[in-house]
Amino acid sequence: MLLCIHVPAFRLAVARRGIASSDEVIILADKADRGRVLEAGGRAHALGARRGQTVLQACAAAGGARVLVHDASYAHTVWEDMLDELDALSPLVDDAAEGTAYLEMRGCDGTASDWIVRAHTLLTRFDLPVHAAAGPNKFTARAATYVRDGCICTAEEAAPLLAPLPLEVLDLEPPIVERLHLLGVATLGELARLPHGPFVRRFGARAAGWHECARGIDPTPFRPRPYTLQIEAVAFGEGSAAQEEQVYFALRVLAERICGDLSRAGKAAALLRTTFECENGDLRELDAGFAQATADPRVVLDILRAKLEGLIFGAPVTGLKLQALRLQECGTFTTLFSGTQPDPQMLAVAFERLQAVKDIQAQQAHVRPAHLLESRFTMSHPEMGHANVTLSSAPLARVVEGRHSTQLRMLPVREVAVRLRGNTPASVDARSVVNCAGPWRVDDGWFESDRVARDEYDVLLDGGLLWRVYKQGEKWYLRGAYD
Amino acid sequence: MVSAAVADTFASLKAGLDARAAGRIVDSGGKPVSSGFAELDRALAGGFIRGSIATLEGGAGCSGRTAILAAALASATRCGLAAAIHDGTLYPPDLERAGVVLDRLLLVCANSPIASARCADILLRSRVFSLVTLPAVHVRGTVWSRLGALAKKSDALLLTLGQASTELGYFASTRVRCAIDRIFWTEGNGVLRELAGYEICTQVFKHRRSAPGAVARLRIA
Repeated sequence: MLLCIHVPAFRLAVARRGIASSDEVIILADKADRGRVLEAGGRAHALGARRGQTVLQACAAAGGARVLVHDASYAHTVWEDMLDELDALSPLVDDAAEGTAYLEMRGCDGTASDWIVRAHTLLTRFDLPVHAAAGPNKFTARAATYVRDGCICTAEEAAPLLAPLPLEVLDLEPPIVERLHLLGVATLGELARLPHGPFVRRFGARAAGWHECARGIDPTPFRPRPYTLQIEAVAFGEGSAAQEEQVYFALRVLAERICGDLSRAGKAAALLRTTFECENGDLRELDAGFAQATADPRVVLDILRAKLEGLIFGAPVTGLKLQALRLQECGTFTTLFSGTQPDPQMLAVAFERLQAVKDIQAQQAHVRPAHLLESRFTMSHPEMGHANVTLSSAPLARVVEGRHSTQLRMLPVREVAVRLRGNTPASVDARSVVNCAGPWRVDDGWFESDRVARDEYDVLLDGGLLWRVYKQGEKWYLRGAYD
Repeated sequence: MVSAAVADTFASLKAGLDARAAGRIVDSGGKPVSSGFAELDRALAGGFIRGSIATLEGGAGCSGRTAILAAALASATRCGLAAAIHDGTLYPPDLERAGVVLDRLLLVCANSPIASARCADILLRSRVFSLVTLPAVHVRGTVWSRLGALAKKSDALLLTLGQASTELGYFASTRVRCAIDRIFWTEGNGVLRELAGYEICTQVFKHRRSAPGAVARLRIA
């Protein structure tokens, strides 16, 4: 016996959960602007809004309809949570589609009525219109949910139960339904009475399946969903930790427990989520990513310590929870000559620790062509990749050609006093100019409002200073010094 | 048999004397860190000592020490990772022109002496950077002692830039003084004239493993 859990118009039901009242005219669209209708609520459908219409068309049809935007990830999360809840009812759950699940109930305690009641109890908190029904196979069980919530159908009762149902239960394309209607077939009973051979010859091989379903036969196999491995360790109710060392000690214990579980499962975690519960009720979540997925307690602890540096809690920590996320198959790439190649995990720890230090910025530079000196490079935050880090440790693909070159140091821009002789600087900040090169005209952004037009000079001053100065408007500025 | 042993002993003694004559007193264990200039490497008896603190000193402004730093970073990033703690004044396009592989260089901008020292501590502890550079900040001697021990432990070079304090001078294994001797300009006038480079005079005035006083003239162009 299979139990079918079905939420009609699941995406719309999730979107309107807690937002709209049931009697409101609702349209679910894929995006807010220029979107298309994914689902139309009962009243909107009655007014003429249909799936596939543009939002404008649907709003024109169902005047004053409220448009909700579909959030796929949220809907998926809700559905996964519902499936997790259903695990309590049966260990075998077939996730047919978002909004429809089948549970294999053979061997489970109780009767079909008990299972349906329990399913409703388990899913009450989701506040969705859940229909549950039992049947001998997938199609019959699902069709029973259309008949009524709580319907129980045995193999013998299948054909009479299905007979009055409309063809739409088979999820056929509208043109096929239309063709069948033209032939005078409007219900499953009428379809079941058609001769099998001529019907299949006329409608193709797929029609054999429809005919079987209409007769209450569904050979579709039951595919239990794979279980998501959850590895976590928790420490609650063992007193409070006011000292840093106490928290580290608890984390160490939990990290070892987690890593033990990971090793036993043959997995490695790429992300670790730590949840701290404080005495004052504060909950703080901290995600620590690894350069490579790991199951090594030492690496886990190093990363956690680095992440915790500089973190201050308002009250003693009373609860800790460590979750291993983004689980991967165990095994990491290692080098034969590790002495010459850096350990990415150590680099990850260094990044985390640098992030924890205030008043500093760890960055990577990227050079790009530009007119202005300041625009010729960009800085980015070095990010942890999934299995590597942005600081490349791979052997260089090409020989780097470099030559000993003069180095400009970018000093904070400040105004300087320049005296001219002819058109060239004769003194800068009361120091006489020994040698000078320039001007080089830089005219950037002339097509925009923030136009920069300046004349740049390299000047050697009598004290031995070698500066880059520029004139912008009527004023002179110091840009940098060669060193 | 005896004559052969005497010959071997004589040869080893001669090799030792030759090494001493070349300025080397103790043979370094690990391969030294190249400064990026062959002339300066010769003056340093092979390069900066790995696992120690070295200083590049010179007057603020125009001493050529940043050019030497860029060459050392270029040399280090060709075969590993390097980190530069700075005050926001390093100019990446010029570093790239000097041959620094920017993908392998971590730039850490720190605005206070203690933040710089803390960053150096973190970077050295990671043991993944073969060269870490930082400004010669004024911090307590114990901090330099700690950083020196970390550099030794991680087998990395900690290169400081700027006038060394007494404490830093004490804990540094190598001290190099830099000054620009000559500046070269291209021929021409006005817009056709450009800075062509300069010549830096470097003097090693402290070296743990060789005699001090060696001078090298470096041409930057």
